[in-house]
Amino acid sequence: MTQRNVIGMVVAALLAVAQGCAAPQPSPDLLAPTEAQLKIRSVQTRSFDVKERQAAMRGVIAALQDLGFIIERANESLGLVTAARFAEPNFYDVVGVTVTVRPEAEGRMTIRANAIYNNKPIDDPKVYQNFFATLERSLFVGKQ
Amino acid sequence: MRPLIAAAGCLALATQIAGCVSRTQPDELFQLKAESAANRAMQTRGFETRDEAELLSASSAVLQDLGFQVEESVREVGFLRATKERSAREYGQDITRFLVFLLSSGASAFGGPLIILPVDLHQKIAATLVTKPVNSEATRQEVRVVFYRVIWKGDGAVGNQSVPPGEQRMEMLRDPVLYQTFFAKLSKAVFLEPFAL
Repeated sequence: MTQRNVIGMVVAALLAVAQGCAAPQPSPDLLAPTEAQLKIRSVQTRSFDVKERQAAMRGVIAALQDLGFIIERANESLGLVTAARFAEPNFYDVVGVTVTVRPEAEGRMTIRANAIYNNKPIDDPKVYQNFFATLERSLFVGKQ
Repeated sequence: MRPLIAAAGCLALATQIAGCVSRTQPDELFQLKAESAANRAMQTRGFETRDEAELLSASSAVLQDLGFQVEESVREVGFLRATKERSAREYGQDITRFLVFLLSSGASAFGGPLIILPVDLHQKIAATLVTKPVNSEATRQEVRVVFYRVIWKGDGAVGNQSVPPGEQRMEMLRDPVLYQTFFAKLSKAVFLEPFAL
């Protein structure tokens, strides 16, 4: 049990703590566009055959309500919807989502969703696929 | 030396486990559940009217009657959010707290911890309401209202360890009577019979 051993163990424990949860480290080129950003943007964006922005926004709101979100804010002229909820069944984790609806071309709307989980962005493509599947259903049901 | 290495190993393992546990898989968060359709049916009613704005303003009047403060409203997409804050004290919880205290004080004679359960103190009830034309001619509107509440707990104690106040939880209110009452009031306010969708 020498002092070196103790230091060695402390360093090992520290390393374990440091690598336990590999959070993305802020880099010097924080604001530069990266490939990952482009990828996440394409995952978060989808376009739909909807003529009016209002109709698209109503679809977004309905989809979020179906998913158990509380709509916090909506802004029609900007096409913005913000919603949040707790990640039931545990009440410590908060999920937030911001959806923007923008006209892309005649009769098409681009819808982008940004979701955060405890203030960390969600970059799992599956999450967004699920969201857009729900949204598609609600837009389709709403249009009939 | 051996036990020390084992202890360091355990420590490292524990930090790994504690660091990266995700309690809910985030990819399930945006998935519809089995009860989503039932909730939707409970929270939605249709009205035979062209006047969406009238429906929205009647809804806000009903929410005001129920003691809510309207916090956010967007007429263009037919959206209202209203909240009210109330006490969340319930006698049942106080009785449970007392009984647990009594039992644990009996057990503490044999070295068990003294337990004071935290009880619900305060709640904020929120309603989000959305109106929406159902058909393309907009002769029918649907109203969907969702009630939620966030509850804050008071403090408690287990032995010498005190439980800090302020622990919160949120739940969707799932009592059908609540929604029926709301829609009954709303239909009175707009002189229209609601129908289930």
